[in-house]
Parts: sequence; C-alpha cells; structure tokens
Amino acid sequence: MERFRADGFDEFVAARWSTLLHVARLLTGGDRQRAEDLVQEALVKLWFAWPKVAEQAPEAYVRQVLVRMAARSARRRWWGERPVGELPDRPEPGDVSAAVAERSRLEAALALLPPRQRAAVVLRYCEDLPEGQVAQALGCPVGTARSHASRGVARLRQLLSDSVRPVG
Amino acid sequence: MDDFERELTRMMHDSRAPTPFGPGHRARLYEGIRVRRRSRVLWRAGGSALAVAGLSIGLALLPGTGSRSQPADRPAPPATAPTPSAEPTSVPSTSLPPTSTFPGTTAPGSGGTPSSSPSDTPGVSTSATASPPVSTEPPTAPPTTEPDPSTSYTTGG
Repeated sequence: MERFRADGFDEFVAARWSTLLHVARLLTGGDRQRAEDLVQEALVKLWFAWPKVAEQAPEAYVRQVLVRMAARSARRRWWGERPVGELPDRPEPGDVSAAVAERSRLEAALALLPPRQRAAVVLRYCEDLPEGQVAQALGCPVGTARSHASRGVARLRQLLSDSVRPVG
Repeated sequence: MDDFERELTRMMHDSRAPTPFGPGHRARLYEGIRVRRRSRVLWRAGGSALAVAGLSIGLALLPGTGSRSQPADRPAPPATAPTPSAEPTSVPSTSLPPTSTFPGTTAPGSGGTPSSSPSDTPGVSTSATASPPVSTEPPTAPPTTEPDPSTSYTTGG
C-alpha cells in the first residue's frame, strides 16, 4: 500500500528537487533555509495528494502549493521581511564570483517586491509559464496576474538599475 | 518582451544552482511525511471521538425526553373492556337508566329531590340493584324495572 502510494514519488522529487528549490529561493527573496522549508512542506502535501495528481500534473500542483505557502509565510510577522530603501547586500567587485554576485543582486531585488508580484515575476520569467498558468498558480484572474507581473518587472527595473548605478 | 525582460529571464535561469536530492533531504522529507501522517491520524481520531460523543449524548437525551412524555401521552389501558368479570358491572349501569322512569328522578328541576341529580344516578342505580350477585344476571332482571322508592331515596340522600 505504502509502496504503491509512493510509486514514482521519489523519482519525481529527485528530478525536480533542484528546480523547485531554485523557484522557492527566488520566491523567498534568497532565503535558503526558508526555501528548503517551503519545498519540504510542499512535497509533504504532494505526497498525500500523490495518488490523485500523479497521473495529471504533479508539478503544477506542487508549484501552486509553493506559491501560496510562500505568500502566506511572507505575511507572517516573524519572518521579519521589511522593505528597505537600499539593497541590503550589494555585491562588491572582486570578493565573490560574478554569478553569485548577480544571483545575490537578483534575490535582494526580488525580496523587496510584494509576495504576489514576486511570485508572478518568478513564474513568468523563471518558469516561463504563460499568463494563464501564472494566474492559476496565484489563484487570481489573468488580468490580475498580468498586472502583478508588469508592476513587479517595473519595480525590478528600477531596483536593478539603481543597484548597478556607480556610486559617485 | 524588451531588453530588460530578456536580461531578467537570463538572470533567473543562470542563477539556478544544481542541488542534488541527497539522502539527508530524503530522510528529512520522509520524517515530515511521517509527522504529518501522525497528526492527521490524531486529528481524525479526535474528530471520530467527538462525533461518537455527540451522537451518544444525543441518543442519551432523546429517549429521556420520550420516557418523560410517555405516561402523560399514553391513554389509559382498556383493562375493563376485555375482562369478562367487568361485564356484569357495566351491564347494570347501562340498563339502569330505565330507572329514570321513576317519577321522582325524571323531573330533576321540578321535584326538588336531592337524589335527582344526574351525577347521583349511577350511585342510585347501583344501590338499587342491591348486590353484585344480582347484577351478574342478565339485564332482563326484574328488579331494575321495579324500583323500590324507599331504597333509592335512602341511598341517594
């Protein structure tokens, strides 16, 4: 029974773990511990729903759970996520590699977005989902998801251009 | 999609670092599944216990209200009807209204006699029949047709 229930679950998790962790990390604005917690919780929920969703779309299910849990956890006070006027960890040249610096910059900019805008941007530009699926994952109409994504991109454009502006 | 959006897409894709699903992750995941399953079982058991408790309380209350209302609602059992011993006593009472043929009892308002009230006529009639052995006889007994005025007045008054 147990073996039948988890049939294919391990393979799915092993194949998608890296991607899910990456999405969760972007959704949490670069918080690795919180991202692992979110992925773990989402996969636990997926395990109980596995007999129903295994043949359909387990990735869409776990993505939806992940987005909603990330939005819910961001609303909690104890995460201490506060918007600041300046990016907290601006990369300094020379001490880290370029890839890590760019990732840190992106995650820091994403952390300044509201959770819904952040989720819309991540799903649209990281997962390359069409607007309909973004709206489905967010649980809102397509127009609302499009609005979240465009506002998030506009804010990121401002933040990232500020962060790369040379300090005079 | 403008240049910034393309750059954003590239940044998001490039920032992906390969993270293998190791045994530590797997153990942690299955520990979480075990804990969740245990909590679900506990919740389900608690819900079942609550349901059973509510049902038993409801069942305990329902018969209580039914038994309280039962004696008041139930009519008196027809104990006199089927028993043959009760038949003789009822026969004289039904046959005795002919005693009203007696002049003193036929005119309650005019005569002014105290025994002429309708409530008293059963007592009068039973006393008029004198004794139960007599009343066990069929209703065609002559004493009912020949009332004794003296006995009826003495018993009624």
